[in-house]
Amino acid sequence: MKVGQKYTIDKQAFLAVLDSLRKGAKLIGPTPGPDGDVVFREVASVAEFTFDYVNEFDPVKRFLIPHRQDLFRFTLGKRPTFEPLVDSSPQVLCGIRSCDVKGILHWDKFFSGTYLDNYYLEKRANTTIISVACNKPLDTCFCICCDGGPWLEAGFDLQLTDFGDRYLIHVGSKKGIAILEKIKKGLVAATQEDLQRRKELMAKCDSQMVPTAYVAKAIIQITNNRVREELWEEMGFECFSCGGCTHVCPVCTCYDVADYMESPTCGVRLRCWDSCQYSGFTREASGHNPREKTKERIKRRFYHKLSYAYVKLDGHQGCVGCGRCITVCEAIGLLDLPAVVKRLRREGQPEPEQLGAQRHSS
Amino acid sequence: MENLYLPQLAVIDQIVDETPDTKTFTLHFLDERYNKAFSYKPGQFVEVSVFGKGEAPFGLCSNPLRKGNFRITVRATGTVTNALHEAKVGDVFGVRGPLGNSFPFEEVMGHDILIVAGGIGLPPLRSLIEPIFDKRNKFGEFTILYGARTPTDRVYKDALEEWAARDDVRLLQTVDRADETWTGPVGVVTTLFEKIKVDPKRTFAFTCGPPIMIRFVIQDLLAMGFADDHIISTLERYMKCGVGKCGHCAIGHKYICVDGPVFSWRQIKVLPER
Ligand SMILES: Cc1cc2nc3c(=O)[nH]c(=O)nc-3n(C[C@H](O)[C@H](O)[C@H](O)COP(=O)(O)OP(=O)(O)OC[C@H]3O[C@@H](n4cnc5c(N)ncnc54)[C@H](O)[C@@H]3O)c2cc1C
Ligand code: SF4
Ligand code: SF4
Ligand code: FES
Repeated sequence: MKVGQKYTIDKQAFLAVLDSLRKGAKLIGPTPGPDGDVVFREVASVAEFTFDYVNEFDPVKRFLIPHRQDLFRFTLGKRPTFEPLVDSSPQVLCGIRSCDVKGILHWDKFFSGTYLDNYYLEKRANTTIISVACNKPLDTCFCICCDGGPWLEAGFDLQLTDFGDRYLIHVGSKKGIAILEKIKKGLVAATQEDLQRRKELMAKCDSQMVPTAYVAKAIIQITNNRVREELWEEMGFECFSCGGCTHVCPVCTCYDVADYMESPTCGVRLRCWDSCQYSGFTREASGHNPREKTKERIKRRFYHKLSYAYVKLDGHQGCVGCGRCITVCEAIGLLDLPAVVKRLRREGQPEPEQLGAQRHSS
Repeated sequence: MENLYLPQLAVIDQIVDETPDTKTFTLHFLDERYNKAFSYKPGQFVEVSVFGKGEAPFGLCSNPLRKGNFRITVRATGTVTNALHEAKVGDVFGVRGPLGNSFPFEEVMGHDILIVAGGIGLPPLRSLIEPIFDKRNKFGEFTILYGARTPTDRVYKDALEEWAARDDVRLLQTVDRADETWTGPVGVVTTLFEKIKVDPKRTFAFTCGPPIMIRFVIQDLLAMGFADDHIISTLERYMKCGVGKCGHCAIGHKYICVDGPVFSWRQIKVLPER
């Protein structure tokens, strides 16, 4: 068996294999939520899974970057002592969507480099990703604009495509191979017909994508500082600084660090999610705050997501097209990524007369 | 894999009162092997943990060429810094580092050096000044300008006196507000520029201090004819992790904690203002 190969298998047979993974790892996947939504959580059996969903409202971020992560526990004293609290227990993330896998690939790069973030990387090394390519988008999905989906060619351990009674399985890694090797019977190499069917499903999903985000133009606008301050100011008035957009974003990772005392002598140093959209994010001890105004923070968020400087640093724009900021933002339709991309594109577009004048003078 | 966030324990050997709100701490690591191996460059910083209060970044102000211990100068402004100010000799804290990039040192040998410091900006520059004295014959003309709010607000009063007495450096000091002890110039640090002669072509200028001061200093240096990459400064931002991961210190696509805190004007001028 090799990476890149494709197989098909009866759904029930594959679910049985998934269930067997519970022996050595936490099995995490889509379950029915309280309001008819879908919530990813650890299950005691695959029977708890639901497959009638497109995507979860929250990204799977919390399973790799917990809301609160304890870094080490310390005991005060003449000579303080501390013990690291690295959690590297194995987990299998089932049923996550392509855009969220792309988000994880972004973190893999971000938390590596010169400084290796051992808390993230050890959790990640013990995480298996079984993703599902999308046959149908939500009306907020725009991953095709961001190279975030609806299916992927790499990055997952196994990628499933739903064929109704069967799954088409795309092998993405050695970890994925190890899972498939547990299957005693029923796994068959994908036929030409299967591959054709997959192609058609992909094309159909692509064609159903509604929102558009022509990020290329927005990147040019931001990179060349062609956006009027007035537009950022306008957006600053519209934003509630709630930080919802960054919390639901499968690319955003900023965190705060703090000490928390559990008893008079014992405490933990922890990190927890933070947001560049909060006014306290850059406030210095002196009281000086370089991004005190909401417009400055909004500008920051989109500079990080869309400037060429970051595209070059990260290899891609800071958005995978999951559409969650569309769902979450209270400034409905104004500050989500596709909306802002649209507003940026219109910036500094010379009127036809002006264009003529420029040509004439040059 | 090494743990990025675990500090090493370090003990305070000495505490010196600098100004009413500033103290200098000399520390060494409890782990002897670690202490021996610990080395850093001028301009780098450390993250100091007061367990239960938090962690905060401080520029190393000691001479990187002298091993065995290191120093930080701390102004009391908040939770961590106030806790440090209550510390006594023998108290143990956590230290991570050295972090960040450094002032060019070997690279500027053979040149004249101009140092322009304001208030609490002198400590990080001291980690450059002292090694220059150690290798004095490798450098040309050496000028230090130091400005503070009042005479009492000056840090390192002993060292300043010592430098003033040396004939291989020109030290000029000024204060915003004089008192009865002060006989020197009064005015912001940039007023000292007219009292010195530098050849911008042969000189590297290093400046550190409050952001507003840095801005005026750079303006004047440019007017004097300094090239963009002959002006070296530091940027300061609220920092948490110190290792380029928490996002707090980002300006443009630079993370001040790893890409900085030292930048040339050539690098600074293309960064977005905020
Ligand atoms: C590169 C660099 C070099 C520096 N060098 C020096 C130097 O040489 N000398 C010097 O004096 N200063 C220096 N500073 C500035 C110094 O780091 C700050 O003065 C210091 O961080 C102030 O910390 P504090 O805890 O005293 O202040 P505070 O802002 O009161 O405290 C911040 C701490 O309190 C906690 N905290 C605060 N608010 C909250 C909240 N809402 N919720 C939870 N926890 C919270 C956090 O854990 C945080 O660690 C430097 C800064 C940088 C970036
Ligand atoms: S910016 Fe919005 S659409 Fe893009 S990845 Fe983040 S939450 Fe999803
Ligand atoms: S852009 Fe929207 S989601 Fe983000 S902080 Fe502002 S109001 Fe909240
Ligand atoms: S301090 Fe965390 S990224 Fe710089």
